[in-house]
Amino acid sequence: MLDVLSTLLLVLFLVGHLVLAGADVGLSMLMPRVARGPAQRRRVVAAIAPYFLASEVWLVALVGILAGLFPALEHHVVAELWPVLVVLTVGLLVRDAGLWLRSRVPDDRWRAVWDGAVVAGGWTLALAWGWVTASLIAGDPAVTPFTVACASTVVSLFALRGAAFGAERLVEDPTAESADVAARDTRWLAGVALAATLVTVVAAVPGPGPVDPSAAAIPTAVMAVALTATLGTSGPMLSRYTSAIAIAVPGVTVAVASGLPVASIPDTTAVLVWSVLTPAIPVMLIGQVWLYRMTRRPSRSPGFFA
Amino acid sequence: MFDDPLLLARLQFAFTAATHYMFVALTLGLAPYILVTQLRATAGGDRGRMTAVRFWGGLYLVNYGMGVLSGLVMELQLAVNWTGLQKMYGYSFGAPLALETMTAFFIESTFLGLWIFGWNRMGRWAHLSCFAVVTATAYLSAWWVLVSNGFLRHPVGFEMVDGVAHLTDPAALLTNPAATMAFGHIVTGTLLVGGAVVIAVSAYHLRRGNDPHRIFARGIRYGTLVMCLVPIPVAAFGGVQFELFGQAPPTSGQTYSASEIEAVEAAGSAVHPAIGPTADALMMGMWALMFFLGPVLLLAWPLGGLDRWRWFLAPLVVLPFAPYLASVGGWVFRETGRQPWTVVHHLTTADAMTPLSPAAAAISFGLFTVAFAVLAGVTYWLLVRYARRGPEDGPLADHRDREPAEAPVPAPTF
Ligand code: HDD
Ligand code: HEM
Ligand code: HEM
Repeated sequence: MLDVLSTLLLVLFLVGHLVLAGADVGLSMLMPRVARGPAQRRRVVAAIAPYFLASEVWLVALVGILAGLFPALEHHVVAELWPVLVVLTVGLLVRDAGLWLRSRVPDDRWRAVWDGAVVAGGWTLALAWGWVTASLIAGDPAVTPFTVACASTVVSLFALRGAAFGAERLVEDPTAESADVAARDTRWLAGVALAATLVTVVAAVPGPGPVDPSAAAIPTAVMAVALTATLGTSGPMLSRYTSAIAIAVPGVTVAVASGLPVASIPDTTAVLVWSVLTPAIPVMLIGQVWLYRMTRRPSRSPGFFA
Repeated sequence: MFDDPLLLARLQFAFTAATHYMFVALTLGLAPYILVTQLRATAGGDRGRMTAVRFWGGLYLVNYGMGVLSGLVMELQLAVNWTGLQKMYGYSFGAPLALETMTAFFIESTFLGLWIFGWNRMGRWAHLSCFAVVTATAYLSAWWVLVSNGFLRHPVGFEMVDGVAHLTDPAALLTNPAATMAFGHIVTGTLLVGGAVVIAVSAYHLRRGNDPHRIFARGIRYGTLVMCLVPIPVAAFGGVQFELFGQAPPTSGQTYSASEIEAVEAAGSAVHPAIGPTADALMMGMWALMFFLGPVLLLAWPLGGLDRWRWFLAPLVVLPFAPYLASVGGWVFRETGRQPWTVVHHLTTADAMTPLSPAAAAISFGLFTVAFAVLAGVTYWLLVRYARRGPEDGPLADHRDREPAEAPVPAPTF
């Protein structure tokens, strides 16, 4: 019982992180495209800033759950994937350093450097997540047609999620120019993601595809439907939801199709963790929901981050 | 030296943990002062005090960001370099760290986000309560981390099942004296760090006669009280830890027999014998400095010296070095004292480490050390810069009354 709950918790934090961080990481990637000039760049950072801390904590919690409740699984993942994890950490470090530091010195060159770090870190993060997903599904981090296609799918899902988020959050701009670019981008990004998905499926057939292909079929189909819906003329309107569904799929697929070794958790540890965690869950939820609701409208005056 | 992976991995851990701890100590030490200041500002509708909250809060955030970045790297390092520890002690050493990430860090960062973005968006009391949650969870976080760290020093409450430690007594884990005493010592020690930073920044501005909102006059008085009251509990919590010295943990004998343990310890710890005592002397020396400084500051108070004696204020600007040196010394003392064990009487440091090639260990050492040196350097520079500029130019300064940062540029919409 606690085993099942703990596994669900692990999947919840993986999917939660992908869905929430997809938005701010994706928009970091698209900054050069949706923002022209310092004023628009400031607005993009102001749209990202309220969320990056609140989405990153899901990742930290994910690592914590792995270490405390699934040490054997963590050991397996780290042993297999440590170079990818180093890349992921570097991406996180560079992107976050950009966000924390860009507004610290009122100088255009300084800001340009750290805006560059936000963009580079965003791309690195998306790529690293793509590589992690592909390696876990294939059971091996080697570069094969499958891992390349799968990683490209994940990268395009991050970009799509970022575009959807930008279309929604950048409308405060007096001209709404950035929001319009982002909204139009959702349609072709959905196309790219869909094409990459098809290539991934084709590549999975001969080569080292998912350990359990039948389990991967349903999530992949759900993703294809969500992406197809985003292609149409109402795509920009729907993308807020469809991009969330689509980016959740890699997480779910890893959970159901990769055949990762999950050992049963010793009772005393499970009971300790759950009895301390249960009273904390409402506080965790209240904080997250409150933050996402409160910051729906970006602030116009300069703040700590932008 | 560069051909010994074990030595490199240990040095790397020592450098990065010490750097991480310096950020953490200021986070913990400044939070209660900001919380109390905001409480008084909120209760009294006091604008001067609210300016103080924005000023100290700005320094807090700059430091917090670097605490987060260095912490992320610590986590990676623990997972990649010390797999032996995870494999054997995941369910006992890892469990408190897991709880830390969810019950403390998750909540802390979310509510800090609410605090940063909530200044003009929520009621005054709601805003205050967000910082109260941030402070409480920061201390909770320290407690969980020390439960893990205390387990290494004094492993309790588990039995070995097929080479993996299974928890049998969570209560013993949570009330481990090596954790609770260290928590008392750390909490009081970080108050000294916070107090010294507040004194230094205040002294800098008071010396220039620049204190329109009385932020620094209050700050130096707060710091004076801290320097008078806190050194005693610091020494008390530190002193009781000596009782654990030479005491075998209750689980001793489960992994190695007494004679094997003796053989491991007789082989030596590869820590230079002078390091521990030097670190200890540094810690206690700095303690003595602060212990005697407290009454001196207190004497200067009624004479007006805290506001007016420029010769008296000048040296106080470097006061923060004292508690920082003491803290790093304390950690070096504790961690080197545990050698050659990572988990006392159960797991040697050599076995805890991931088998790394010398080249991999050297690259990892180089990257991590450089990254941390840069983080520490940038933070130090930014903190000093903001501290000097004072409340008007802080990163959280109130911009509502000013011009918008940029004029809207007309452009075609589609
Ligand atoms: C006495 C307290 C204390 C000690 C000894 C440590 N930490 Fe720490 N840590 C904190 C108290 C803290 C904190 C106050 O809670 C921080 C500082 C800034 C922050 O965000 O939380 C933090 C941040 C922090 C983060 C940032 C998470 C994020 O932002 O994503 C990680 C991963 C760690 N720590 C991990 C560690 C590890 C592996 C340690 C082992 C040496 C360690 N900490 C020692
Ligand atoms: C959860 C918290 C901590 C864990 C898990 C931890 C664990 C470790 C590990 C695995 C090592 C390397 C192996 C060893 O030497 O035993 C180590 C060494 C060391 N750590 Fe910690 N530690 C923690 C907290 C800290 C902190 C916060 C500091 C801050 C300064 C610190 C300072 C050191 C030092 C100086 C060494 C080097 C000792 C030596 O190898 O000679 N530790 N610790
Ligand atoms: C006379 C005063 C002090 C005494 C007797 C004392 C004693 C101790 C002892 C016995 C330890 C534990 C070593 C181990 O477990 O192996 C320790 C650790 C430590 N000390 Fe001190 N200490 C004093 C002052 C200070 C001061 C002023 C600071 C910082 C402001 C400080 C910071 C630390 C830290 C960070 C640690 C490591 C964590 C811990 O074990 O609590 N100490 N100290």
